[in-house]
Amino acid sequence: MSEQTKEAVSDLEQSVSVSKNSKKVHQVEDRIFMVCNGIFMFLFVLITLYPVLNTLAISFNDGIDGVRGGIYLFPRKWTFENYITVIRKQNLMQGAYITVLRTVIGTLTSLFANALLAYIISRKRFLFKAQLSFFWVITMYVNGGLIPIFLLYKGLGLTNSFWVYVIPGMVSAFNVLVIRTFMLGLPDSLEESAQLDGAGYMTIFVKIISPLCKPVYATIALFVAVYQWNSWFDAMLYNRMNAQFTTLQYELMKLLASVTNQSSSVDSMKNAAGAVTPVSIRAAATIVTILPIVCLYPFLQRYFVTGLTIGGVKE
Amino acid sequence: MDSKYNIKEIKRQYVLLIWSAIFVVYGFVFYYLPLGGWIMAFQNYKPKTGLLHSKFIGLDKFKFLFEDDTFIRVVRNTLAMGVLNLVTSFVMAIVFAILLNEVRNKFFKKPIQTISYLPHFLSMIIVTGILHDALSANGIVNEILVNLNFIARPIDFFAHKEFFWPIVAFTNLWKETGWNAIIYLAAISAIDPTLYEAASIDGAGRWQKIKHITLPGIKATIIILLLMNVGNVLNAGFEIQYLLGNGLVKGVADTIDIYVLKWGVSQSDFSLGTAAGMFKSVVSITLIVIANVIARRTSEERLY
Amino acid sequence: MKKIIALLTVVSLTASMLMGCAKSAENKGGSTDATETETEATGEIKEFTAFFAVPGSEINDDNEIQQMIAEKTGVKVKETWLAGQTADEAVGTIIAGGEYPDFINGGDGMQALYDAGALVAWDEYIEKYPNIKEFYSDADWEEFRQEDGHIYWMNPFDQVYGESKTTTHSGEAFWIQVRVLEWAKYPKIESLDEYFDLLRDYAAANPTMADGTENIPYTILCDDWRYFCLENPPLFLAGNPNDGSVIVNPETLKVEDYNTTDVAKRYFEKLNIEYKAGLVDPTSFTQTYDEYIAKLSTGRVLGMVDQWWNFAYTVNDVFKQQGLDNQGCNYVPLGITIDKGMENQWYTPGAQLNPSSGIAVTTSCEDPDAAFKFINDVLSQEIHDLRFWGVEGVDYAVDEDGMYYRTEDMRMTVADTSYKASHLSTYSYFPLWYGTSRDGKNAMQPAEQPVEFLDSLNDNVVKCFEAYGVTTYPDMIGSVDKAGVWYPMWSYSNTLTTDTPGGVAWTKMGEIKHEWLPQVVMADDFDKKWSEYMDVYSTAKPEDFLAEMQTELDRRISK
Repeated sequence: MSEQTKEAVSDLEQSVSVSKNSKKVHQVEDRIFMVCNGIFMFLFVLITLYPVLNTLAISFNDGIDGVRGGIYLFPRKWTFENYITVIRKQNLMQGAYITVLRTVIGTLTSLFANALLAYIISRKRFLFKAQLSFFWVITMYVNGGLIPIFLLYKGLGLTNSFWVYVIPGMVSAFNVLVIRTFMLGLPDSLEESAQLDGAGYMTIFVKIISPLCKPVYATIALFVAVYQWNSWFDAMLYNRMNAQFTTLQYELMKLLASVTNQSSSVDSMKNAAGAVTPVSIRAAATIVTILPIVCLYPFLQRYFVTGLTIGGVKE
Repeated sequence: MDSKYNIKEIKRQYVLLIWSAIFVVYGFVFYYLPLGGWIMAFQNYKPKTGLLHSKFIGLDKFKFLFEDDTFIRVVRNTLAMGVLNLVTSFVMAIVFAILLNEVRNKFFKKPIQTISYLPHFLSMIIVTGILHDALSANGIVNEILVNLNFIARPIDFFAHKEFFWPIVAFTNLWKETGWNAIIYLAAISAIDPTLYEAASIDGAGRWQKIKHITLPGIKATIIILLLMNVGNVLNAGFEIQYLLGNGLVKGVADTIDIYVLKWGVSQSDFSLGTAAGMFKSVVSITLIVIANVIARRTSEERLY
Repeated sequence: MKKIIALLTVVSLTASMLMGCAKSAENKGGSTDATETETEATGEIKEFTAFFAVPGSEINDDNEIQQMIAEKTGVKVKETWLAGQTADEAVGTIIAGGEYPDFINGGDGMQALYDAGALVAWDEYIEKYPNIKEFYSDADWEEFRQEDGHIYWMNPFDQVYGESKTTTHSGEAFWIQVRVLEWAKYPKIESLDEYFDLLRDYAAANPTMADGTENIPYTILCDDWRYFCLENPPLFLAGNPNDGSVIVNPETLKVEDYNTTDVAKRYFEKLNIEYKAGLVDPTSFTQTYDEYIAKLSTGRVLGMVDQWWNFAYTVNDVFKQQGLDNQGCNYVPLGITIDKGMENQWYTPGAQLNPSSGIAVTTSCEDPDAAFKFINDVLSQEIHDLRFWGVEGVDYAVDEDGMYYRTEDMRMTVADTSYKASHLSTYSYFPLWYGTSRDGKNAMQPAEQPVEFLDSLNDNVVKCFEAYGVTTYPDMIGSVDKAGVWYPMWSYSNTLTTDTPGGVAWTKMGEIKHEWLPQVVMADDFDKKWSEYMDVYSTAKPEDFLAEMQTELDRRISK
């Protein structure tokens, strides 16, 4: 072997042995870390899971019995009455239907709108990047007030309709900026090489950028979906007299208000076994609301996949 | 030197320009038009006379606010809690996201994440109810502290002003950490895994990987979120403070929103509420402008 | 991408179809909806809408009794209630939107509705419909007359027909558990000191419940707006009725501030002493309403100041379920005063006129005459019984003397939330009567029917009543009824807004009291703390508030 090669080999050997040593040290470090992280995660899960389990327990506990407090992880006096009362709320189904509809439509339209705007302001050569961004950033911190907004929607014909749930909230600066940050993290070369191939801006948006944005799209979709799912204030403000546009959460709110009203008036529980109280109804209503979302997440989780193949472009 | 604003470039990106015009119209209609309602802050708004005919009173409402010691106090409270929440929630969300990412065991990772954001869906009423119970004189926290001999007698945490702000921060963390971490987890998942492989080969340990790959990889996200949330520091809240507050801690618990509720909405004084809202907007925008300038100078990130 | 577009198209098409159906249903309109309800030979059933700016219970669209009432009166009203907003906010948005329901009760926002010109004048309809006219005396109707000379609403409550059948004291009192009274052999407790002495003695002799948990002699609720438990007593302890925010001196006819009187100082000093002695629950000032109710329902609290509706319904239910009522944990009220031998006015019988809010018909109503006729109809005895007693044979039965009663089964069914929504229709915020039915025997409200009341009492409470020679809760208090024509002043102070200096002062006073009263009770040096509190209190300019109340008082007297 030549001198050079010998040197190269010994260098390699040295770095391998350095690697190996540091690997050993790292292995010990690693173990400690894994254990600590494990403990941390365990405690974290405990603390965050507890309120949910507690709510679950209260939802299955007799309301009157629950007034005494002291319910922690398990119901003391088991009953289905809370859930039965919730299910039997009239118009709940209509509310669920509208909520599902607005969640689906709202999420899809909103995702598209937010993503498109993010795309536009993330393009390097876009002439009005700074101005348009500023324009939208300001919207996050100003609010005309309840009444002016109400008057605006009324003027636009959005009140007393389903579309008040979808159109006004479609573009939100926060979501746009999150997506934009992500898009800016993608290599410029993607856009450039596509343009060399003759692709227009929209094609690039649809065919090249978007597929790579799955994690952030999934995130924003989750945010919007949850917002739509939980909405009730807009139903109350803009569709108060229109029962056909009620939402799931609004019906649950009304049920809760009814039960609260009953517990401080004469037409109350009178010792019915399996009586409901505001606390127990709230618990049941919460669980009913959470369940679908918890089911939604695994569906989205597959988009949070590490390491998208950028494919074809090496830096 | 050719300005970039030439016909050729405009023609080239006409698609972008058309769409952005649409977005400008949309944004103007839904976000800027209602700002006409800010005139309420200068009127003595009554539903009967409406926006157009209510009596003009100039800066009276603002004077009322700034001359009121209570208002100054609630601004202080809101700011303090806002900053505390901002710092703690940021650190916790990032730390949690990174630590969760380091969990190798796929079997645990997903359930942990799902569980972590569940409290976000519980109403604040439920969360504060549990917390209040846990911190009460015969609650579990006191039980532990007494049994471990840290304190001799139980402490009524809600009777002492110095505990309130930390309790608020904790409640916020409890409820929102998992949810706030979602963005960071998404950002982490976008980091090129080959970077990690290469680092391993170079002999980098876990901490070095985190320091040199993960953190820089999500730096942009962190900064943008930080910038946006700086503007929200006066929106530190209403619900937590309303639900956990009481007469004894009132001095530190009341926030701008609670003040507005007491003095504005429940008196049907919409004008006062609007004035307070304007004040908040002005402060928020000032803050993010300053923050953005700092960000532009020190990093590559910026809001606009 | 294609998939997304396809999905969007399908969904939007579905939505548009939905919209189409909805819009046409809307166009069919509110007043007549022949397809939904059975048309009787008499004609179609009118549908009205109503909004009440108070929390309430929604009933189902196919509610049985509502349907029956609709068939008899020709009108059905869809009621919606306040949820998640304050009354002012809700009314403010409704006015801004310009679309009113047919009936409205704006609660605190009533004046705003009047100002906005949204309401229909009642005058001709009062003359036309006898049931409406007889609801108030002519003098009372005058109270509702607004500045422009017309009447625009009526308060639906607190009117007693014939003989009063009130059995519960729904107001404020010092409550005490019957077992405490029993242990002390039913002594006469008349003063504040006697009250606390009794609690102290009982607690010393019986420090724990049967199961070993500690008794809590006295607790105070001061959570948010319910802090009347802490701040109100000085008004009553001085022997005054519940004017709520002020004392009216019946001799001088001047308004006085109950927060700064000697009685107030003595009361808080007493609390301070008992707090230091350990008699007052130390967590009083940080407990939430839910925690307070939980505490009461364990039966450990011997006594407290509160109002019946705030605790009794829930707590009594728990007592019954847990058998604590058999341990004598039920509460009875005591009408105590600061010194022995004073007359008390904790309980004020009869109607309490509150002209500041009520049900109104709006200008959006297409057929006001039918609306007023409906109000008239629901006051008729037949409909009134349907509203509150229910369907004969199903919700109540009639015995051979013609007295209505309920079996235990009926009571349980009637209490069920879903049953209420599907079957019972009380139109609870439309005018209703208390007192005696027009048949002269039964009560207008089931809760006041003597047999219903007596059956609901636990034996221990009955024993207690017998020992004191009374048969109802108000009798236990032994109030003297001397309410003046101006009573109650709270109906005015509730309408105060920060528009007036008096309103500003009133709000500030409340804030200061919230912050300082707990400190005063917990203070190490009471006198020092009290004078500090008084100094801060005076910065709220209570004189402005009192001046405004005085003007109102004078106005009420001169009527």
